[in-house]
Amino acid sequence: MDELTLTGIFLFTLFFLLGSGVWIGLALLGVAFVGMELFTGRPTGDAMFTAIWSGSASWTLTALPLFIWMGEILFRTRLSEDMFKGLSPWMANLPGQLLHTNVVGCTVFAAVSGSSAATLTTVGKMSIPELRRRGYPDYMTLGTLVGASTLGLMIPPSLTLIVYGVTINESISKLFMAGVLPGLVLAGLFMGYIAVWSFVRRNEVPPKEARMSFAEKLYNSRFLIPVILLIALVIGSIYTGVATATESAAFGVIGALVLATLQGSLTKDTFIASLMGATRTSCMIALILAGAAFLALAMGFTGLPATVAEYIGSLELSPLTLIFALMCFYIIVGMFLDGISSVVLTMAVVEPMIRQAGIDLLWFGIFIVVVVEMAQITPPIGFNLFVMQGMTKKPIGYIAKTAFPMFLLMVVMVGILVMFPDLATYLPENMKQTPG
Amino acid sequence: MTTETMTRDRSRTAGKSTLRKGLDTLYLVSGALAALFLLTILGIIVAQMASRWMGVQFPGSTDYAGYCMAASSFFALAYTLNHNAHIRVSLILNIAKGKVRRALYLWCLSIATLLSGYLAYFSIRNVQLSHMIHDISQGQDATPLWIPQSAVAIGTVIFTIALLDHLVRTLRGEDDTFAEEHHVEGEEF
Repeated sequence: MDELTLTGIFLFTLFFLLGSGVWIGLALLGVAFVGMELFTGRPTGDAMFTAIWSGSASWTLTALPLFIWMGEILFRTRLSEDMFKGLSPWMANLPGQLLHTNVVGCTVFAAVSGSSAATLTTVGKMSIPELRRRGYPDYMTLGTLVGASTLGLMIPPSLTLIVYGVTINESISKLFMAGVLPGLVLAGLFMGYIAVWSFVRRNEVPPKEARMSFAEKLYNSRFLIPVILLIALVIGSIYTGVATATESAAFGVIGALVLATLQGSLTKDTFIASLMGATRTSCMIALILAGAAFLALAMGFTGLPATVAEYIGSLELSPLTLIFALMCFYIIVGMFLDGISSVVLTMAVVEPMIRQAGIDLLWFGIFIVVVVEMAQITPPIGFNLFVMQGMTKKPIGYIAKTAFPMFLLMVVMVGILVMFPDLATYLPENMKQTPG
Repeated sequence: MTTETMTRDRSRTAGKSTLRKGLDTLYLVSGALAALFLLTILGIIVAQMASRWMGVQFPGSTDYAGYCMAASSFFALAYTLNHNAHIRVSLILNIAKGKVRRALYLWCLSIATLLSGYLAYFSIRNVQLSHMIHDISQGQDATPLWIPQSAVAIGTVIFTIALLDHLVRTLRGEDDTFAEEHHVEGEEF
């Protein structure tokens, strides 16, 4: 059989296994197995074990379960209640008023959790009923919430960025720093949208809340301030080089445990529930990564990445066209796969392409995160849409429609990233190097 | 929540045979072991930071943490499967109804059992090999590699058993672990 047929069989296996619903990690193993059998005479099973072992017993990867655990602990505290009470007094005077609690709440929770679904549930649990009660239109409440929840993937600690870093062997600390400014800019875009909306649809904005004095505001956010301090500790320790990403995750877990204890929400049950939850989620991701580690090896033998990179190179696309093409590509991939799977599945092919085009890999990490975030809020498979559907019992189509303006804002964000790449690269270039 | 779900799962299946009880205990114990390894990662990292500040060496700490990571991931495989927390592309599975759906489930479980069994077989073989040739870690820890590697072997064996278990139960029409779109709060990303 010629190379083309082999590649065809290889790709068909990929789509078939994934499409028929085989668990993603195992599907990747299966595809890699077929690839190895087709393209090499090497002993497949032993190569499989070696690739999986070296991919799984990884120091860098240990940041993953710890950050997941930190989020799981805080998720089980009273954080969501405190969040609304603590944030709303500060937002009441902005144009668009309390809708901003959605965006700011998501930004804050995104900074303690790497998961956008956890961000969505935590913030939504409290803010949806409160905003409804005050008469904010549903489409704005739900839309801004779904949109802003995707910040969880970008603002550190971000699970997607950890996985991206592990896949391409890039420093997690640097990637985290790269995500900070773009995350804040995106949050700013969402808030700008709310403000503009409040001027255009003036009659839909509910009346203002009673004014509070500064002291009252502070008193209302007394439970929120420790969380902000925890965020500052985690991100600050990475930026100043006091701790590596994994060590800052350990700070985060301990800080979260202390916070939960002080709040009185840490019982034996919640502790075990959070630990087991973290074990499951981290295992789920680890299985995908194990499959991907073997697939990356097999991909190398198929020659597919080199061929694609060469082909793309021969087209002599401008980096801008390439980025645009990749954006469309990832939006399509993201319609069927979650963010982490789309990153690990494609990086073996995309990485050589990016390197050849001379695109900065830190920058590309942020780009890819924005793009897979978009996919989280587009049908047919948008994880955040499902979570929102579960919470509000509204049809997916309706939720997707309310989130569409946010989708457009994210396209704008990609444009901003392309025009001002420094946004992503400034912090990582200026941070102190970590000791370990 | 953990034990609750497990008991509910158990009462759904027809009999509470010794085999059933034994298997459920096996999955639960390996899940608990996985959680312990996760705790150990935290312990190692804290110890590493503490020793750095005190100016003491903790050689091989990063390697140990890596081994715990692998152990935690592989011991948790079966437990995670039973909680339907491994993700898959469920687009077609959700559209399919009746017999087609059942066939798809059987196909997924069969291929998954095969793949996991294949990995388990080669994990055992490689652990034996590491043991035989006295393969030692290249890092500062100089651990004989067969010790941490056996976690991978044991974990995948238990995973294979769990997949086979689900396959048999699905054949008998007694398994609804994967029936619903499972979205436990805060568990996705």
